[in-house]
Amino acid sequence: MKSYVCMCEHLTVEDIERAIDMGFRDIESLKRYLGIGMGTCQGRYCVPIVLGILSRKLGVPIERLGYVSIRPPLEPVPARLFLRVEKNV
Amino acid sequence: MYDVVIVGGGIIGVSLALKLAEQSFGKILVVEKDYLGSGSTFRCAGGIRASFTSREHIVLMKRSIELWAKLKEKLGVKYSRSGYLWLASSEEELERIKGYMRIHHMFGLETRLVDENFVKEIAPHVDTSRMAGALFDPLAGKASPFDSVYKQFLATKRLGVEFLVGREVTRIDVEGGVARGVEMNSERVEARNIVVAAGAYSVHLLEKSGIRIPVTPVSHHAAITEDFGRLFDPLIIDVASGAYAMQTFRGNVLMGVDVPEKPFGELDVKLVFLEKVVTVWSKWLKWLPNVNILRSWSGYYEMTPDHHPILGPLTPIESLFIATGFSGHGFMMAPVVAEEITSWIVSGKPKSREAGNLVLSRFEEGKTIKELAVIG
Repeated sequence: MKSYVCMCEHLTVEDIERAIDMGFRDIESLKRYLGIGMGTCQGRYCVPIVLGILSRKLGVPIERLGYVSIRPPLEPVPARLFLRVEKNV
Repeated sequence: MYDVVIVGGGIIGVSLALKLAEQSFGKILVVEKDYLGSGSTFRCAGGIRASFTSREHIVLMKRSIELWAKLKEKLGVKYSRSGYLWLASSEEELERIKGYMRIHHMFGLETRLVDENFVKEIAPHVDTSRMAGALFDPLAGKASPFDSVYKQFLATKRLGVEFLVGREVTRIDVEGGVARGVEMNSERVEARNIVVAAGAYSVHLLEKSGIRIPVTPVSHHAAITEDFGRLFDPLIIDVASGAYAMQTFRGNVLMGVDVPEKPFGELDVKLVFLEKVVTVWSKWLKWLPNVNILRSWSGYYEMTPDHHPILGPLTPIESLFIATGFSGHGFMMAPVVAEEITSWIVSGKPKSREAGNLVLSRFEEGKTIKELAVIG
């Protein structure tokens, strides 16, 4: 049985733990090494779980680990919306 | 005491650490203030080409491309020689790319004009109905910034290189004209050689030691769509606007275009950029309006007056080296820069004459280099 953390990239708890052991010890590096938070969910499901695993492995309270930088738009939007931007925004 | 301390854990710092470690050049430390790649490397598209318009860029990038292929062979870095394609939509633009081509041919670069059928083959989802002509560079390509930093980082660690991540170098110690160590707030580390590879952040760091470099960071924007199967292989450039688009190894379309920005500006996200980039690319990629934009961000081009990097020793100070000011082309150049800086540290001179032309003193001596094509 496998426990999935990220359904976009099909990553398990073991994948995350292995990456932490390899030296990826912050959420920004885990994101980019594994691809968590870069799929269509944009991190809504996986990032909090990965932070939980990181907190347990490093023995650091979760609130001190920070969160990934949020890149706009906040959720995926069709590109055509940007064709109608008011010029004086 | 370290033999080399590298300030900056981006593509330049990590590539250099690997090159030095492969030559067993003693004890090496890389210091990164945030996370690896966080400065400019992970904000860049990852395009790689030698089709420039100066001797220095062409010669060095050709060597870099050979080294990219070796990195793929040795470490499995995601790198592909998938080409660059300049798309012209008018006779005037076509004349401009023909001019580029003539310079490329002078330096033995086999770029060529291609027709609609060829474009349809390598870029099946690019609309060619408004194409007046196109220039193709088969030697160009792309690599994944994440993969190339991480695979070199892991290889470097296996060779015993030390990393301090999340620690900022606050000052370079220069005593009696010799760089002797770096300070990280209250902590000090001694080193026989120091390399500043801190991208845009090199400017203020060196200023504290009284060294001025003519580097001006200017932010450039990028946006990325959801991922798809094969849309187009080469990195494509709209000649009219200088906008570029490429498909990442994950299948997302990554796009960029110039919008007016002030030097040292904020790394923010701009609606004017999103409007411009979607407008430009919707002309060539008819399906673009209907796909989702996932993220947008910006990163610095570290511009120098002649758009070429500053490499090598920071004379007259001894034991201090620099590799920054890449003006938007640092990622692609990293392997050859690692080779050249290693040569400077190990043997006191660069490997090639072209690298030697890029030392800081060229600005005072009036030996600046002319580059006519800076993209995106």
